[in-house]
Amino acid sequence: MNKGSIAGCGIAILAALASGCSSMGVEPWERDILAREEMQLTTDPIEAAIDDHIYFSKEASSGGRGFGGGGCGCN
Amino acid sequence: MKDTKQTSVSATLAAATCSLLGSVPAAPVQAQEEPKWDFNTALLYYGEDNDRVQDLSLNILGKRYFVDDRSLTLGLTVDTLTGATPNGAIRQGVPQTFTRPSGNSAYTIPANELPLDDTFKDTRVALSAGWEQPLGRLWKTSVGFSGSFEYDYTHLGLNGGLSRDFNNRNTTVSAGLAIGRDEWDPVGGTPIPFSPMLDVGDTGNKTGTETKDVVDAVLGVTQVISRNLLVQVNYSFSNSSGYLTDPYKVLSLVDGTTGDTITRVPAPGAEGPSHEFRFERRPDDRTKHSIYTQAKYYMGGKVLDASYRYMTDDWDIDSHTLDLRLRWPVGERSYLEPHLRFYTQSEADFYTISLVDGVQLPTFASADYRLGNFDAITAGLKYGWKTRGGSEMSVRAELYQQRGSIPGNLLIGNQVGRETYPDLDAIIVQFSYRFGW
Repeated sequence: MNKGSIAGCGIAILAALASGCSSMGVEPWERDILAREEMQLTTDPIEAAIDDHIYFSKEASSGGRGFGGGGCGCN
Repeated sequence: MKDTKQTSVSATLAAATCSLLGSVPAAPVQAQEEPKWDFNTALLYYGEDNDRVQDLSLNILGKRYFVDDRSLTLGLTVDTLTGATPNGAIRQGVPQTFTRPSGNSAYTIPANELPLDDTFKDTRVALSAGWEQPLGRLWKTSVGFSGSFEYDYTHLGLNGGLSRDFNNRNTTVSAGLAIGRDEWDPVGGTPIPFSPMLDVGDTGNKTGTETKDVVDAVLGVTQVISRNLLVQVNYSFSNSSGYLTDPYKVLSLVDGTTGDTITRVPAPGAEGPSHEFRFERRPDDRTKHSIYTQAKYYMGGKVLDASYRYMTDDWDIDSHTLDLRLRWPVGERSYLEPHLRFYTQSEADFYTISLVDGVQLPTFASADYRLGNFDAITAGLKYGWKTRGGSEMSVRAELYQQRGSIPGNLLIGNQVGRETYPDLDAIIVQFSYRFGW
């Protein structure tokens, strides 16, 4: 599988999710749990940034969650 | 005219209503709370075994809220880095001497030990600023700046994002773009790729600063699946172009039969390398694609946070990352959070452990262990609690371990059995304090 087709698949998955999502979800009055702090996608922004930076420095991958890591001449 | 008239009519009506109710018109009540700062702070210690990299890091992230859901975020990170790092050369049965990157002195590694450059010492200051605000009822936008400053490295970047809610706010589609320009100004100059490491004081193979440009784009969908399940999927694209080589990494130049590094004699009266070492050379362009998916699942008070990332790039590196956290409430105001992370990557197509003397050099080569074939695991535990005043504190301790292997076809002669991937063990200890101001 070449990289172009992998990227194509990724975009197709995103598009499928976006179109198939209209039947999912909750009503506004059912958001009690989703509104909890521990249910946010990033509960601890500093820890997320620190981890992104550590792994950016030690591994050949970065980002994913956001732009992530970077900005250093890490050894 | 019409507006003025309407205003005066509504003012008259309001006055009439007030007099009917027997009250005087009051000043409008502030619909939202006063602007307020939310501070996230953390003190981090990251330490690798065998006197390799140690980092003590102070992090502050302040977010100020304004009316209409607008917010300003300011970040500051100060890292103090010390320790040694593998310089890329292979082990030898005899001591090896290397010229330091500064070109001012040399260091010697004992026989059979992994060559580590212990010159590594730096302070890094990173700054960030971001502004976020809604655009109408369903759109949200953000702009930001990032800067990172080290003695030998500078990064400047701009980013922007846009998101829109759909389906009763159950679906959010977001897009982000970041551009960055980084500049290397290595201690002692930038070595010419593949040039030999020279004697102390000889800067004949060094040039000035080098730059690279980075463009990142992220496209994502966040979907509420049910009352207790939230899922996000992101596609990320990243392109770096310019100087992507590590100016401090070298490769050993070895004999094609024995695999031993070619010996070298410094100029008379000079101090210098005992063997032949060549500075590495990487391609000047790299494009990465990744798919990242994350789920948050609430299970009767406990929250599972699971994410998976697949990354591939045109250096032939593929990686998989699985990250699992389980937030487990303990009593009214505290929680425990075990964390497990699994990572695996394949090596870059130009990764090698040595260059062979007497044959044509490859176009690109690097022996940087981070471009090699390895697996990594992180295991940790976090304990967090809320104070009576509403502040939050947490401590976490984690172990990070890298275990790699060198592909058999890269080993020559005596390197078999002697050369191993420079495995890594590190600890991460962090204390965090979050408070309002």
